[in-house]
Amino acid sequence: MEPLLVVEHLTKIYQRGEILALDDVSFTVNRGEFLVLIGLSGSGKSTLLRCINRLIEPTSGRIIFDGIDVTKASPRELRLIRRRMAMIFQNFNLVRRSLVMTNVLAGRLGYANPWLSALQKFPRSDIEMAMANLKRVGIPEQAYKRADELSGGQQQRVGIARALMQKPDLLMADEPVSALDPATSNSVMQYIELMNKEDGVTVITSLHFLSLARRYGTRILALKDGKIVFEGLPAEIDEAKFKEIYGEEAEEVEIR
Amino acid sequence: MAKRQKKSRSVKDPLYSPRRIRPRISALLVDWMSWGYIAYCVVYLLNNYWYHRYVNYYGTLSLPDTWGWLVVIIATLELAAISHAFGHSIGLSLFGLRLLDEEYRPPRFKQRLIRFLWWHLLPVGTIVGFVLKRQPGLFHDTRSKTRMYLIADVKDQIPATKPRKWYLTHRGAMILALITATFWVGWLVTEINLGAFFGRMGRSAYIWKDLVTPSFAHFIVPETKMTVIGAAPIELTILGGIIESVFMALLATVIGAFFAFPLSFFGARNIMGFSPLGWTIYGVTRGFFNIFRSIESILWAIIFAIWVGHGPFAGALALTIHTVAALGKLYSEQVEGIDPGPLEAIAATGARRWQVILYGVVPQIIPSYLAFTLYRWDINVRMSTIIAIVGGGGIGRFLFFYKNSVGVIPDSWNQVGAVVITIVAVVWSLDYISGRIREKIT
Ligand SMILES: Nc1ncnc2c1ncn2[C@@H]1O[C@H](COP(=O)(O)OP(=O)(O)O)[C@@H](O)[C@H]1O
Ligand SMILES: [Mg+2]
Repeated sequence: MEPLLVVEHLTKIYQRGEILALDDVSFTVNRGEFLVLIGLSGSGKSTLLRCINRLIEPTSGRIIFDGIDVTKASPRELRLIRRRMAMIFQNFNLVRRSLVMTNVLAGRLGYANPWLSALQKFPRSDIEMAMANLKRVGIPEQAYKRADELSGGQQQRVGIARALMQKPDLLMADEPVSALDPATSNSVMQYIELMNKEDGVTVITSLHFLSLARRYGTRILALKDGKIVFEGLPAEIDEAKFKEIYGEEAEEVEIR
Repeated sequence: MAKRQKKSRSVKDPLYSPRRIRPRISALLVDWMSWGYIAYCVVYLLNNYWYHRYVNYYGTLSLPDTWGWLVVIIATLELAAISHAFGHSIGLSLFGLRLLDEEYRPPRFKQRLIRFLWWHLLPVGTIVGFVLKRQPGLFHDTRSKTRMYLIADVKDQIPATKPRKWYLTHRGAMILALITATFWVGWLVTEINLGAFFGRMGRSAYIWKDLVTPSFAHFIVPETKMTVIGAAPIELTILGGIIESVFMALLATVIGAFFAFPLSFFGARNIMGFSPLGWTIYGVTRGFFNIFRSIESILWAIIFAIWVGHGPFAGALALTIHTVAALGKLYSEQVEGIDPGPLEAIAATGARRWQVILYGVVPQIIPSYLAFTLYRWDINVRMSTIIAIVGGGGIGRFLFFYKNSVGVIPDSWNQVGAVVITIVAVVWSLDYISGRIREKIT
């Protein structure tokens, strides 16, 4: 079967400061995989994820998603591609003053009738789907609260519910648990794992802790200074590899 | 957790890349300008106190005009160069630059002197050095073995030193000089005269006496001495005037906000993006805001009083135009200040651009939009009470009618007192209400 995502020679240079954030990155992601990106902060993980759905324009290289060239897509084609790849963020990126329900429904905007959405109206089926997804992430009772009244862990679950609304083929998560405490982190990671296992959504996530990466990842990709320095199974990362990725002074810590 | 590593990883980053040269040029211009400003102030003071035969405030120093200018321009440039070579100037600290030697230490005096002297041969020296000795680099940099570094690039190499007292630094002393000169010259320019203020206090006593014994004779009884063509009786009463003013302000605020709302997105950098079309729309919108905002409502009222005739309509139009521009600018700045995270998230779901604005931007800006609109309403109420001076209608009509009738109508200052008290009461209570509402929504 053809891979879901192919990234070829992806390079990103930020004009401001002339920073080379991604340097000729190539890899493929198969359907159903749980791929974890690791690397120091500043190694280019966020840039890589945002290039895949072109929230950031790549400088050069190609990205093929399910046989479609994302890098060449017109604005309209890009919207159709983005519908199929959901994203969740380190700091949740909810509209803080809007209701949880509105935030979740926003995940449907790519599919929604534009006229109805202009009036902030959604079909009954979407609202039922939003409620079902909130139930799925365990916070149906929060649906009509303002997003900023929720705790961090709950906000990230709203983020997951918003992603579920898209019925995506690919979920990209940019350090989804870095802003959360360890216990909450695990529950959020389990919802992401559930999406992967039950709905068959392919997942690419960057993670700060190697222990989480080992636990959830089926494959690991390590970035350093914008280059891929390791690609393989979690078990293959030994002491030496670890030092190469994180630097000589680093030490692995366990988080449960 | 893995330790964060320090690294510099730039694509092409020689010491003289635009990123490093641009701040140096900007810093020189800033310091040159500050010295120029000081020179202007000094010459102004000399002219004022002492020399006025030999110096005029253009700084001509009794030399022919062109020569005077040249002397000032070159002397201030020299001073700016001295500031850069021998001290840490305002410009250098503003643009994050620091003069260090090749080991990242503060240069010695001799190096600084060499740097300053060779700086005069900068263009010639750089070319000769490059051609003859294959020595790249700016001439005064290489000769003095010092470099102007961006602090951001070398912050890990600079040894920590105890900072000097601020007024002993070049930057501190310079700022002090700028402030002193500004206030000294400002005092002279505005012709502040405390003698007149205290000595002639008695002359206005009778006005104060009349103002605090107001006559509300025409609060609801029409003032027939005032001739307003086609005016209904109510329009000739103070009450009618203040009602007119309040409605003028209300309509101007609501209609102005209605137009400013959509325009504010065109004037926001983060919404318009960086395409040429985006830049153009942004520039035009911001230009419109800035030009129309700097023309005060009073001036607009003069134009509209001729265009649509004297009366409240002209005043409302004038206030509206100014409101659109002023609110548009404030709104745009709010849009630019929003959290970009939610926009990113909504764009990532495949939403259209306007959906991103509706679902991501609008909820974030609504509270501050309301607050600004109420604030603008306060301004408009105050402005509508005087806009009649140029034919804009409202209670101001009475203010200026009575003021101009001093000596004709015996109790005219008492009438002015009544008008002023009405204005104060209305403005104050509306301010109070809108202040309370603003508290609630922010
Ligand atoms: N908008 C930007 N403009 C300029 N440089 C940026 C921008 N965003 C990130 N960078 C730089 O690109 C590099 C990679 O950043 P990022 O992708 O955020 O790494 P990570 O997510 O692994 O921490 C860093 O050196 C960072 O400073
Ligand atoms: Mg990141």
